[in-house]
Amino acid sequence: MRFVLLMAAREIRASWRRLLFFFVCVAIGVGAIVALRSMIQNVRTDLAGEARALIAGDVAIATNRPWTDDLRAAIDRRLSEAPVEARQDAVEVATMVRPEEGRGAATAKMVELRGVQAGFPLYGRVVLQDGSTFTHDRLGNRGVLVRPELLAQLGLAVGDRLMVGGTPFTIRGVISQEPGRRAGAFSFGSRVLIDLDDLRSTGLLTFGSRARYEILLKVSESAVQPLTRDLRQRFGNRFVTVRSFRSTEDQIGDDLVRAENYLSLVGFVILVLGGIGVWSVTRVFVRQKIRSVAILKCVGATTRQVLSAYVLQVVLLGLAGGALGIVLARAGLAAIPASVAATLGTARTTLTASAIWQGVSVGMLVSLLFSLVPLLEVRRVKPLLLLRGGAASGLAPQAVLPPWWTMAGTRTRLAAVDWLQVAVAGGVSAALVAIASWQAASLRVGLVVCIGFATVAFVLHLSSTAIVYAVRPLARARAFPLRHAVLSLGRPGNQTRVILLAVGLGSFFVIGVRALQANLLEQFSLELSSSGADMVLMEILPDQVDQVRAFLEARKAPASAPPRLIPVLRARVTGVRGRETTLESFDDVRRQGALAREYVITYRDRLEPNEKVIDGAFWTGQPPLDERASPVEVSVERSIHQRFRINVGDIVRFDVLGRRLEARVTSVREVEWEDARAGGFMFVFRPGPFAHAPQTWIGILRAPEDPTERGRFQRDLVARFPNVSAIDVREVLATLSGAVRNLTLAISIVGGIALLSGVLILVGAVAMTKFQRVYEAAILRTLGANTRMLAAMLAVEYGVLGLLAGVVGGAGALALTWGVSRHVLDIPWRPNPLLASIGAAITTVLVGSVGVIASYDVLRKKPLGALRAE
Amino acid sequence: MIELQGVSRTVPSGDTMLTILHPLDLVIESSRVAAITGPSGSGKSTLLGLLAGLDAPSTGRILIDGADITAMSEDALARFRGRRIGFVFQFFHLLPSLTAIENVRVPLEIAGAADAGRRADALLAEVGLAPRRHHYPSQLSGGEQQRVAIARALANDPPILLADEPTGNLDSATGHQVIDLLIDVNRRRGTTVVLVTHDAELAQRADVTIALRDGRIAGVTEARAAASS
Repeated sequence: MRFVLLMAAREIRASWRRLLFFFVCVAIGVGAIVALRSMIQNVRTDLAGEARALIAGDVAIATNRPWTDDLRAAIDRRLSEAPVEARQDAVEVATMVRPEEGRGAATAKMVELRGVQAGFPLYGRVVLQDGSTFTHDRLGNRGVLVRPELLAQLGLAVGDRLMVGGTPFTIRGVISQEPGRRAGAFSFGSRVLIDLDDLRSTGLLTFGSRARYEILLKVSESAVQPLTRDLRQRFGNRFVTVRSFRSTEDQIGDDLVRAENYLSLVGFVILVLGGIGVWSVTRVFVRQKIRSVAILKCVGATTRQVLSAYVLQVVLLGLAGGALGIVLARAGLAAIPASVAATLGTARTTLTASAIWQGVSVGMLVSLLFSLVPLLEVRRVKPLLLLRGGAASGLAPQAVLPPWWTMAGTRTRLAAVDWLQVAVAGGVSAALVAIASWQAASLRVGLVVCIGFATVAFVLHLSSTAIVYAVRPLARARAFPLRHAVLSLGRPGNQTRVILLAVGLGSFFVIGVRALQANLLEQFSLELSSSGADMVLMEILPDQVDQVRAFLEARKAPASAPPRLIPVLRARVTGVRGRETTLESFDDVRRQGALAREYVITYRDRLEPNEKVIDGAFWTGQPPLDERASPVEVSVERSIHQRFRINVGDIVRFDVLGRRLEARVTSVREVEWEDARAGGFMFVFRPGPFAHAPQTWIGILRAPEDPTERGRFQRDLVARFPNVSAIDVREVLATLSGAVRNLTLAISIVGGIALLSGVLILVGAVAMTKFQRVYEAAILRTLGANTRMLAAMLAVEYGVLGLLAGVVGGAGALALTWGVSRHVLDIPWRPNPLLASIGAAITTVLVGSVGVIASYDVLRKKPLGALRAE
Repeated sequence: MIELQGVSRTVPSGDTMLTILHPLDLVIESSRVAAITGPSGSGKSTLLGLLAGLDAPSTGRILIDGADITAMSEDALARFRGRRIGFVFQFFHLLPSLTAIENVRVPLEIAGAADAGRRADALLAEVGLAPRRHHYPSQLSGGEQQRVAIARALANDPPILLADEPTGNLDSATGHQVIDLLIDVNRRRGTTVVLVTHDAELAQRADVTIALRDGRIAGVTEARAAASS
């Protein structure tokens, strides 16, 4: 044991420079895991602690419809039996606000208006920008609190007046932090706080508004769970949702655990890249240590002792890599600007113990696993080689093996296989799947990642074999550097495959993500330009339709199509009686998942250009139904037909804002969603029954493009129709584009780290084979080769490697964009060969120059010294 | 005592088998200096490798002090070598990453010796290299490296010392010193020394000379009288 310890220590002392890449490879992977996990864990700790503030109470009862008297009474009755300590009503509604006439910017903005009562918030704290604490008095006498970005957009200041639903309010302060606001959550606009009674008086809560009504409760801790369960049971089928801070905490927790696991998987992938580096370093290291191993065996060391010394060395290096990884992670987190951390929802950028523990153990395991197979070669070293002077390879002789396709050949080949090595390789693969599954907390994901990795590795392996084979004729080329570069690619102990794998995967990541981003952004701009429409108006009341139409006709963008106004109603499916599907109650519907959600429906007498009937017949040309007809007629979209097996002839029961009706499915339509000009509806009804039903209309139009014109357009619209909201599609798309850019940046950073490990592995591979190259270069120099010729050889060799890695990475990236576009994002695939080619070219130059620079020693060394050393 | 009974060694060469050593019987008494001589390709180094258990004979048995080393596993052989056999190579074969003293300590550490440091110091002093103990092999001359190798071979005080052309890579003056050292080890410690050599002077100083030709023993010459005179 003492010998093993001492030998491991001495070997590290002697070869730490050569093994530097070993622990840098490990360090980058460990650093990635530790940093990503710590970050998410920080966010989780902070957010979970704020779960009460997030829902602004212990329990929240909410609905999208105004409380009906009987429902309200039923809830009140139930709550009177519960230990409710405090209770509040709140309403949230998306609407347009604008500056008072003649003040601020000539525009109107969509905001999320929240009406609150005295005592808000039950938990957490509203922090104002001037540092003062929020009290409800601020909202008295028609006061509002707004976010700083709204002031900037509207050109207003505290004290100015803001028009909300046509009523003037005074801005009393600026919110800098507000409970219940989740970081990164999508919203239609910035928050405006207002007194609940004032909100009611604006008339914004009349029929058709997209408001969310909430009852917030503060109850004793022990009553939270039973009360939530009971409320859900009683009111669940009356379109009421009940959330407790516990379920929110669990939800956030689950989301973040999932995020943490996926990000750790990314770290694991980087670490596996590092592992490939470890494997290559160990392989070359063992080859260089053959004579030492033979000497040790000659002076009495057993194979087990020698192997133990090297395994211990790997363990120590793995630990050192882990330690360096922690330092990298610490530095990485410290480099995150506070503002970015705050956007993510945390103020802390500390490492967590569990992240460190996981990162270091995964790093240890990966370095051990990846070095074990090459280390087993030590077993085959025979001490006899010492008597054979300069035996080139000290491993047991590997005869030229006969081909597989003869029986005798197969037998000989099988006999030559080192079964222990094969068994260990199998064990290592299984262990890697286990680690990946552990990191992703899912066996399936772990398997998928490992199989994906193995597939890419296999493709790269095949490509490298193919290229070595394909360029073989060049070994007879006239150009000396080319000839020797080609020979080097296929020389014994070459690093071709390792470099291809490392760099190919790295470039695949980076090019793939970039290509995907380009595809997505192109899709956004296309959506804007093709559809023509770039603004959607909502909550137009039926009696405003003609006036709005006249207003739009006068003010729309010049030369654009006439604005379209479409009636919409909100409905839920409460039952189905059909050939394949029968759902008796709303509870049955709910078990079908998405079918239970609230659908926006419409009625019209013709198909839109982006629709076609695939089953049954549409009622085109037929007169409207009678208002009291039953059943009415409905046309369903293909996805409803496919997912829920609802067919032509089936009866579907609907609850349309409290009115129950039965509808017979008379056709199945397919909507071409990419062409969203005409909108898309899952359920379209035959006109008639809803002619006088409460409904709102939406307007689709192309607004003036000039920003000032556009602002004025919105402002005038809101001034005339205070209840109408305008969603600026351009703004939404810009926000989405921004989000895509941020996401791409994040993934690109991860891809960049992967590419960096690829380059490091490349440098390591070059450094490890340098000893062999120095000797070769010395011989070539002795025979008359000059530095330029040697440099050209190296540049061609690594350039070819880089080109192949880039081509494989680029081709993989094209495949990735195809798969993700078609199957995940559901957008048309637009191959971007230019981007892929640029990526491949950059990879070629990068690998070529890194190869030459890392081989600087080879070019510089005097030949005599190198020859003597050998 | 080293005893070879019908030992031969053949190796595959293409489709045929090449005989390097034809079956031979040989006895080397304890505490003697035996020189194996012969032209290149006569099988000298192969014979020495077999004696050290670095290679296995194709036929026959090799007994060292009664122990049949041909029946031992690779690891058992390694342990046996560690305790009973010291080996000196033509190309020294020191571990390049270890200092002189560490190279000498290695066999002691493998054998689990408690006083490895002290004994290694003494051995280096014995070969006259105490002042160079912390030098790496690359910082030592050929003769110094070979003396470190001899100290390492003697580390566990083995009864048998095998040397493959120990002076083959040294100039004649340095070669002389190494020869003196080996003979001295034999005289003072009673170690059996078997060496393969081309060096006529070295062969002359051996107690017995075994001449090989084409894988067969061409003659065994006792030279005790000459050596002692």
